[in-house]
Amino acid sequence: MIKFLLLAMSASLFMGCSLIKEVKPWEKETLAKPIMQFGGLHPEVTKFESHVYFSKEASRGGSGVAGGGCGCN
Amino acid sequence: MQLKNFNSISKITAVAIIASNALYAENYVSVEFLQYDENDNRVSVSAPSLSASYDIGTDYTIKADIVHDAVSGATPSWQPDSSSGASSRDNSGDYVYENQEFKEARNAGSIMLTTRFENRDELYTGFDYSRESDFDSKAVSAEYMHYTDKSHNQALNVGVSYAFNEILSYDYDTGSGASQKEESHSLNVQAGISQVLNDHSSVKVEAFTILDDGYLTNPHANVVRDYNTANQKLVTENRPDKRTAYGANLKYITMVGDDLSFKTNYRFYTDDWDIDSHTVDADVYYALNKKVTLGAGVRYYTQSEANFYNKNKDFFTNEEYASSDERLSNFDATTYKASVDFKQNDKVSYNLGAEFYSQSTGLDATMITTGLKYKF
Repeated sequence: MIKFLLLAMSASLFMGCSLIKEVKPWEKETLAKPIMQFGGLHPEVTKFESHVYFSKEASRGGSGVAGGGCGCN
Repeated sequence: MQLKNFNSISKITAVAIIASNALYAENYVSVEFLQYDENDNRVSVSAPSLSASYDIGTDYTIKADIVHDAVSGATPSWQPDSSSGASSRDNSGDYVYENQEFKEARNAGSIMLTTRFENRDELYTGFDYSRESDFDSKAVSAEYMHYTDKSHNQALNVGVSYAFNEILSYDYDTGSGASQKEESHSLNVQAGISQVLNDHSSVKVEAFTILDDGYLTNPHANVVRDYNTANQKLVTENRPDKRTAYGANLKYITMVGDDLSFKTNYRFYTDDWDIDSHTVDADVYYALNKKVTLGAGVRYYTQSEANFYNKNKDFFTNEEYASSDERLSNFDATTYKASVDFKQNDKVSYNLGAEFYSQSTGLDATMITTGLKYKF
C-alpha cells in the first residue's frame, strides 16, 4: 500500500511541479478555499488525530512546533 | 479603455472578495467532541473541546483552545499472574502480558498570538499547558514566516518550541510504592518552505529535529528480568534519558476541477533509539454543493522497533535499557477516514467525522468527531 500511495503522490507532485507559475493575488480564489488548506478543513479535528497518533505510535514531529507534552505515551 | 477598466475593477473586486473571506473567517468559536474507543475494552476517551479565534485589528489574531480528556479502560503490560498464585513482582510466581486497568483525566489548553508585520510576514507565539494526575507539561513556541516575493507565492518558515514536563513515578520495584517527581525537557526545531505552484496547487517541505532529555520512561510499563532464575522479577521499564530525532515532511495540495481537492503528505522520521518511520497520508474533499462537503482519506504508517524493545518475558537480564511497550515495536498501521460538513449559512457550520485505525499489533480503534463552528 505504501508503494502505491508514494507512487500516486509522486505522480501528482510531478504534474504539479512541471511548471511553477507566478500567481497574482487576484488569482488565488481557489487556493483560498477552506478545502485547500494544508491544516485540513477542521484544524481542531486534525489536532485530535495528531494526539491519538502521538499516544499510539513512537514517532512524532513535522506538523508545527506548537503543542505540549502528554503522559499518554 | 472600457475593457481595461473592467479588468481592473474585476481584479480589485476579486482581491476584495478573497481578502474579506480570509478576514471574515478569522473570528469564530467552535466546539468539538471526540469519542475514541479501542477494541478488547482497552482505552476509551471522551474529549470535549472549545476553540476561539479573534482578530485584533488587521495585525493580530489571538486563538485559544481548551480540551478535557476523560480516559478509562486498560493498557497491556507485564503483570503478576494471579492464576499461578503470584501476587507480587518478585520471584514468587509467573507473569502474564495482560491489560492493566486505569482511569485518568487530562485538562489541556493553548493560546497563540499571530502578529503580522508591515510586509505581512507573520510571527506565531504560543503557550501550551497540559495536566494529568501524574503528568504536567508546559510549552512555549515561536514560529516566523517570511514571504520572499510580493505576490506571496513563496514563504520560508522557522520555528522552535520548548516543553518542560514533570512526571510522577512510583517505586513499585522495591514494593514501597513511594512517588517521586521526575522531569523531562523537549526541544523542537523546524524549518520549511512553502511554494504556490499555480493557481490551484501548493507544496510545502519541512525539516525538523526533536531533542528529548530527562525521564523518558513510561512509569506504568513493566518488563520481566532474569525470568526462570532465582532472581526473576517484574520491574518498571527503563528507557534512555536522551532521544534525538530528525525528520522531513512533504505536503502537496491541488484542486481537481472546481470542487475536488486532493491533499497528500509524506513524513520520514528517524531517531537514535533506532526507530525509523514512514507516514503517507492522502485526503480528498468534494464540495457536493454550496452547503455540503464530503471528505475521505487514508493514512499508512510503519515503524521499526526501538533497540531496547523486546516483548518476551525471558529476554531481559541485566541490560540497562529495557521495554516491552508495544508502541516501541515494529508495526504498521492504517487509518481510514470519512467526514461530512454541513454549512447552514455563512455563520454556522457542522461537521461529523469517523475514522477507523488498525495496527498490526492487534490494536483497532474508532474515532468519532462532531462539532459546531460559529463565525462572527
